[in-house]
Amino acid sequence: MKGTAFSLILLPTLSCDADCDYCFEKKNEHRITLDQLCVVVQKVMDHMEHNHIETLSIYWQGGEVMTLPPDWFEKANIAIREIAERGNRQVLHYLQSNMIAYTSKWNRVLADMFGNSVGSSMDFPNLHRKLKGGGPKEYDRLWVRNIREATEAGIKVGVIAIPNERTLEMGAERFFSHFVDELGIRDFQINTPFPGGSVNDVKMGYPLNTERLSGFLADLAAVWMDRGFHHGVQVGPFSRLMDFFVHAKKDLMCIWRDNCVNDFVCIDPLGHVAQCDCWVTSYPEFRFGNVLDDGSLSGLLQNSRARRQLQTRPSVLIQKEDCLECKYLTLCHGGCPVRAYSVYGDVFRKDPYCELYRRLFQNMESMAASLETESGR
Amino acid sequence: MSDSIVYNIPITMIEAYRGRTLVVRSHDPSMIVQRLAGHDLEMVEYLQVPVTGGDIDSLLHWEHAVPVDLVIHNPEADLPLLYRYSAMQAARPVRVSVPVAPGFSKVVKLALSLDFAVKLEFSQPGPALTEELLRVADLYLHQSTVSQPVEFIHSMFLAFYKGDPVALWIVQEEDPARMRYITARGIETISRRFAGVELNEALPSFIENYIEGLIKEEGGECNDCEFFDSCLGYFKWPRKEYLCEGVKALFQRLKEAAEELKADLSSFHSPKGENRS
Ligand code: SF4
Ligand code: SF4
Ligand code: SF4
Ligand code: SF4
Repeated sequence: MKGTAFSLILLPTLSCDADCDYCFEKKNEHRITLDQLCVVVQKVMDHMEHNHIETLSIYWQGGEVMTLPPDWFEKANIAIREIAERGNRQVLHYLQSNMIAYTSKWNRVLADMFGNSVGSSMDFPNLHRKLKGGGPKEYDRLWVRNIREATEAGIKVGVIAIPNERTLEMGAERFFSHFVDELGIRDFQINTPFPGGSVNDVKMGYPLNTERLSGFLADLAAVWMDRGFHHGVQVGPFSRLMDFFVHAKKDLMCIWRDNCVNDFVCIDPLGHVAQCDCWVTSYPEFRFGNVLDDGSLSGLLQNSRARRQLQTRPSVLIQKEDCLECKYLTLCHGGCPVRAYSVYGDVFRKDPYCELYRRLFQNMESMAASLETESGR
Repeated sequence: MSDSIVYNIPITMIEAYRGRTLVVRSHDPSMIVQRLAGHDLEMVEYLQVPVTGGDIDSLLHWEHAVPVDLVIHNPEADLPLLYRYSAMQAARPVRVSVPVAPGFSKVVKLALSLDFAVKLEFSQPGPALTEELLRVADLYLHQSTVSQPVEFIHSMFLAFYKGDPVALWIVQEEDPARMRYITARGIETISRRFAGVELNEALPSFIENYIEGLIKEEGGECNDCEFFDSCLGYFKWPRKEYLCEGVKALFQRLKEAAEELKADLSSFHSPKGENRS
């Protein structure tokens, strides 16, 4: 099918040089070998051929990808390109890294394979991102140094930030200034924390209080509109919601797609297949199967009970929750299953951040309406 | 037979209708994919499958971008099945045809949320259903998140806006001068709702004659109906004695919304407007 893409979240390693409090992954020292990678990619290509899909988007994540050496990626890139060329398919690569191990040695791979762009993560203030055996301060220092160095080398860095209690106390203005004015980040996204994976004190505080978090997001949207929107600063999810309300362009985060099962699949270094990185190591009961075992990826996906369960989720939610009455059903079909599962132990519940989403949509809708009125003046 | 006619045929008759412009339907979507192999898909306007269709995998992954019309039979029961088709939208335009029967507004809401176009299939709606229709019209007219048309609401609204009537029989794909429905037994008729009905006149002139009959009818409701130019007696079939109060309220709502929009736009462009900078 022309124009359609298959999105693969690929975890080549589960090893990580950090030890963040809210990490949902069950980390270990496993790494995928280049031979295993070729088996995985070939099976993905076969699946794409079977389904007439032309383009593969690989989202490389960990663990931490930079615990593998850059030349491993160079070899992986060549091997994947050869397989793709044989099957007449196109492959796009995206990288998510904590950037703690970044040095200029990565620049060539970043340019050749990832279009000189990398997604990273940092919070403000940083309370929960820590180095192994270290604290948030050391993490901050290394991260800021490496981000500056990468930016100076012409690498575009996008940042995912997870708000915490202190973020909400400090307020939106300070938060925006930190990323945009102090660090020069032009593209960042706010994600909501959830208690995925093993339990600890920090995760016991999730989900964050809806009232306070939606107040913060409303303030941040206002600051962005005032100081970022007209200056090319992208803030997720505001930018894409604005695109939706102003230009009817629907390119939403996975949590708001009609069913993320239609859009992603994740494979870990042992070949386990699951919906995304939030599931694959933490919830073995929701794995779809193992792609390194015999058989095709198409067969594995088609026969997976866990995948079928996730697939039916939105249709169950419109019958048992209030999503069908929701004004914003077109933007959110019950939200993220892993957020629901990690909070309620039940995928057939709507996202615990439902109320936050509704307020956010409403706020962005009225901001878009004001913008349109102003531009009509 | 004119070449410009579109034939809605069961897939089993595909050979007999080679070279014609077609809508191809089947209860089994995988059969459509199999049987259309080797046929000229340029001649296929769209495929029609029931939303309850069994094996949809081959259709979901079919490489041809032929549009699909998903037919709903029972709005309440079929509603959750729409999600099975959500991935199809990326590969081809999808429309949902839903009968105006209890619960249809839920189907409309979900279909629009999935960015599917909608076609309402009418018979002669009673008061409860016309209430539901008004709610659907409001959803279509006022909700900023709606990006797909709901027919006939969309075409009628545009007609009022432009002051240029559209024939409802055409919008509803029930004009025999343009479209024919071939039943499973090979009988040619107007549309699905006419299947099994003995039409005593020649098909091409059926609507024309029917309309003429309505106009001639003394004291007939259509005679002094302000919406006749577009409606053309559409709601007087099958029962001529059906009272159109509810339907007229819907037309009125669409007309008022079109007038409001026109007024808004003209005040917006007016040099006297407050917003002039
Ligand atoms: S960097 Fe990522 S994978 Fe590593 S501990 Fe932190 S959240 Fe987990
Ligand atoms: S489970 Fe949640 S985070 Fe994972 S792909 Fe689905 S929506 Fe996204
Ligand atoms: S915002 Fe809430 S009610 Fe609306 S669709 Fe999402 S989860 Fe359902
Ligand atoms: S609304 Fe009723 S009365 Fe008016 S033209 Fe249509 S069928 Fe006739």
